[in-house]
Amino acid sequence: MLGIRRRLLGDKTRDTRHGILRLGVFVGGLFLSAPAQSVLCAQAPADTMAFYRGLDLEAAGKYRDAVPLFRSALRTSAGVNALLGLERVYAELGWSDSLVAPLDTLIAANPHEETYRTVQLRTLQSLGRDADLRRAFDKWTHDMPTSPAPYREYARLLLQKNRSTAADSILARARQTLGTMKDLQLELAQSRAAQGQWIESAQAWRQALATADYLEQAAAYALAPTPSSTRNQIREIFLALPIEVAARRALADLEMGWGSPIDGWNALKGIPPDSAAAEAWSEFAKRAESEERWALARDALESALRWRRTPEIAVRAATAAINAGDPAAALRLAPLADARGDSALAARSYLPLTVRAYAALGRPSEAERLVKAFDRFLAPGARNSLTRTIAWGWVRTGDMARARAALAATGAEGDSSDAAGWLALYEGNLKSARSLLRGGTESSPELALALGLAARLKTDTAVAVGKAFLALARNDSAAAAAEFERAAAVTPPVRSLLLFTAARIYAAKGVDTSAVGLWKRIVEQDKDSPEAPQAELEWARLLRRKGDNGGAAARLEHLILNFPESSLVPQARRELDVVRSAVPSRVGPGQLR
Amino acid sequence: MKVFRTRASRVGLTLLAATFAVAARAQAQRLLVPMDDAQQNHLKAYGLTYNAIKANASAEWLLNYRGGSFLIADTPDLRRQAGLAGVTIETIDNSRLGQIRAEIAANNEEAVPLEKAPKIAVYTPPDALPWDDAVTIALKYAGIDYTPVYDDDVERGDLSKYDWLHLHHEDFTGQLNKFYLTYRDAPWFIDLLQKNTAAAKRLGFSNMPALKKDVAEKIREFVERGGFLFAMCGATETLELAVAGRNVDIAQSFIDGTPMDPDADRKMDWRRTFAFRDVHLEQSPFVNAMSDIDGHQVNVPGRQQPLGTFTLFNFAAKFDPVNSMLVQDHRAVVNDFYGVTTSFNKAVLKPGVTILANEEGAPWVKYIHGDYGKGTWTYYGGHDPEDPRHGIGNPPTDLSLFKNSPGYRLILNNVLFPAAKKKPLKT
Repeated sequence: MLGIRRRLLGDKTRDTRHGILRLGVFVGGLFLSAPAQSVLCAQAPADTMAFYRGLDLEAAGKYRDAVPLFRSALRTSAGVNALLGLERVYAELGWSDSLVAPLDTLIAANPHEETYRTVQLRTLQSLGRDADLRRAFDKWTHDMPTSPAPYREYARLLLQKNRSTAADSILARARQTLGTMKDLQLELAQSRAAQGQWIESAQAWRQALATADYLEQAAAYALAPTPSSTRNQIREIFLALPIEVAARRALADLEMGWGSPIDGWNALKGIPPDSAAAEAWSEFAKRAESEERWALARDALESALRWRRTPEIAVRAATAAINAGDPAAALRLAPLADARGDSALAARSYLPLTVRAYAALGRPSEAERLVKAFDRFLAPGARNSLTRTIAWGWVRTGDMARARAALAATGAEGDSSDAAGWLALYEGNLKSARSLLRGGTESSPELALALGLAARLKTDTAVAVGKAFLALARNDSAAAAAEFERAAAVTPPVRSLLLFTAARIYAAKGVDTSAVGLWKRIVEQDKDSPEAPQAELEWARLLRRKGDNGGAAARLEHLILNFPESSLVPQARRELDVVRSAVPSRVGPGQLR
Repeated sequence: MKVFRTRASRVGLTLLAATFAVAARAQAQRLLVPMDDAQQNHLKAYGLTYNAIKANASAEWLLNYRGGSFLIADTPDLRRQAGLAGVTIETIDNSRLGQIRAEIAANNEEAVPLEKAPKIAVYTPPDALPWDDAVTIALKYAGIDYTPVYDDDVERGDLSKYDWLHLHHEDFTGQLNKFYLTYRDAPWFIDLLQKNTAAAKRLGFSNMPALKKDVAEKIREFVERGGFLFAMCGATETLELAVAGRNVDIAQSFIDGTPMDPDADRKMDWRRTFAFRDVHLEQSPFVNAMSDIDGHQVNVPGRQQPLGTFTLFNFAAKFDPVNSMLVQDHRAVVNDFYGVTTSFNKAVLKPGVTILANEEGAPWVKYIHGDYGKGTWTYYGGHDPEDPRHGIGNPPTDLSLFKNSPGYRLILNNVLFPAAKKKPLKT
């Protein structure tokens, strides 16, 4: 619910969001209590009939008609619910002031009924009668001197109005009068957060979560604006012993929001395994999956698997492992043996993962053997899909003939697949590669590069380019860089893109001299190409990493002045500011430190 | 030979004519730096203009014209600087310039020549990072040079070398903003206390309050002699207290070993201060406030007032150019922000103080200015216009994310206005 509310409120200001959130947390509970009580009273005695008729009329939007019925039910056993009903319909009609007199009578007759008092405070606040509100609160504390309820309700109302300082003084009075804040931790936490007292707020949240674990999202939301310099102290509070799952979940939520999902996982990974922990891990994994943090999802699901092994979690864990580039873990997390006697399940869920893992590991023959073994459980479409995966595995081993043969075995479908597109590219057949890859389903940086090249090259064949991509597919980066450089020499229309790709590979491998040589060539010889400003920015970043701020500034200035239309100019200006120490240098080139 | 000479002369004449034409065009052209919403980087526009003045290029401040635009010479270097900084410029020819001048003449607008780049000093501890002071953040970002000065420099008389002095959150009562109450065990506080105490001894003062009061006095003299003072945050309030309480013990015992004079209120000499009078000092050592100057009292639970917005006043540019310069902005209403001193209660303002911005309906004002002796002072409450609740140790504001900040513009207005040729003509 909080998540939906957050999405709905995405464009509001922080303060407004806080206010509305509080309203949801505090008031929502009260309104929701009305139908719950109605259910309990399903066998209604005669004196509550008026109340139920009033409810029906309210549900039908006939607020005026509901009023007399709710009023007549105030003195019955459904009196509390009738009052809440009356509060709602009066609010709809704009007659909230009509509630004040009946409330006085009800409270005089039942001075210890907390709902009457709460409605009274709420009504007076909605009418803007602050002095009466304060008097009502004082009267309540006088009549029930040991109850935390008046402090809680009044503080909540003040917080809703963003009067956090006033709420704070009410809570301070509660501490003095009651001698404890046990039942007021939530309000204390909200109040402290609203005043920017992050550490005190975190301490209060930690205590509130000990008895109300459902508040974890509210805690994470309230503490989200904590400045980064204070975050370590917040972490210490939530990580302090004893380990409490709700506190750790709240911290994990906070860390995700702060952009440190790894720390989020660190908050959760150490909790002792039980059903609550498994749920926390599974929930964390779900968020990590949605954000494509595959390694974290893998770790969280692996922990969940240790508590309870289910095919669903095993398959999710293995999928995450493969997506994280860890196919070996996929084989370990979802071994075919898990499916035991259920071959259909194995063929449907486990086999595709196992085949993908073998293909990624360069073991396509084992994948082929498995597919053959499960052949009678496979639908034709599934079989073809697995065969294409195996073909991809053969490509990774460099055996193009077997890859081609594997694809041929799948018939016409295989010939029109992504894998066929890649095979065509590796063989330099740009015409086929262009049409097959464009309609493909995968997405990767390599595909973006291949499509970019294919679009800019007007020829139908480019053997040298194919060779370069094949080397890349085989993870032979040294050969790939050299092949891209060679391809550039014979493919002038995309020379700058090929050189830029080669330079990137060199830079990633730490062969800086080669990378700089290529960037320089692009900037000087292909200055009209889209890669020229990109090359200059990469060059500047490398210089800065090496401590040559002067050199970096010169490159950035050159970029800004010579490529003013480039979309990289704002980024270059930003990095020029950093290089010149005109802004704090906490943000490095292109990444958070 | 004759033919050659004739052709050479013709070529020479043509070249000469072309040179004159280019020179005339170059001279005629100006760069308009718009400061309305067309400007992509308001803050660096100040740096561009400051550097134009510094390079002796002509510059004018077009008050109230398109958000307080600047008109600078069209030189290759200034164009280059604008391009690098992402500052929006428009080329203006003589005809367009004539139209602009006519518009300025017909409206509440004025063109003020900017002649001399002021020499800027910022009073800040030697080991302070530039990031914890909104003015140094703004100067760094805009590319305006400044010199940090501190107690040794002030005591040596170095303030006379500068035209403009900025103060931020120094506590001139010598009580380190009463942070003793909450941070006495924090390493940074211990370090600060030790360094300041050592400086007091080194400079011949009995304790830190004595040193800071003397520094405050020298700052007062700097303004009296014609200096421009700009102060923000806690420096505004404590400078006044230190000047008025020069001969009164206004420091609590935790800092100088003796309690505050219980009769301090009565003994304060408000005739010597810039902005305030009849202020009540906070007598309790346990309340993190100095006096009733600040309307918001951010560090006092139960007294803290919520933040609102403040509105800049619109002055008559032709008659009151100084005040007009100080409020040039592309927004008239600006979000408020806390500081050790956030605002100034109207009840304690001296008569004659000019209010530049206030919060409608509130008993306090945000931004004030006045003359003192041959100089002027300006106070701007709050710590950081783009970090409304900046706390100790919070990360610094990265102005590349707030390059159109209307709150920061007010700071930079203060940097440029001493460059103006005209002297104030009060209405």
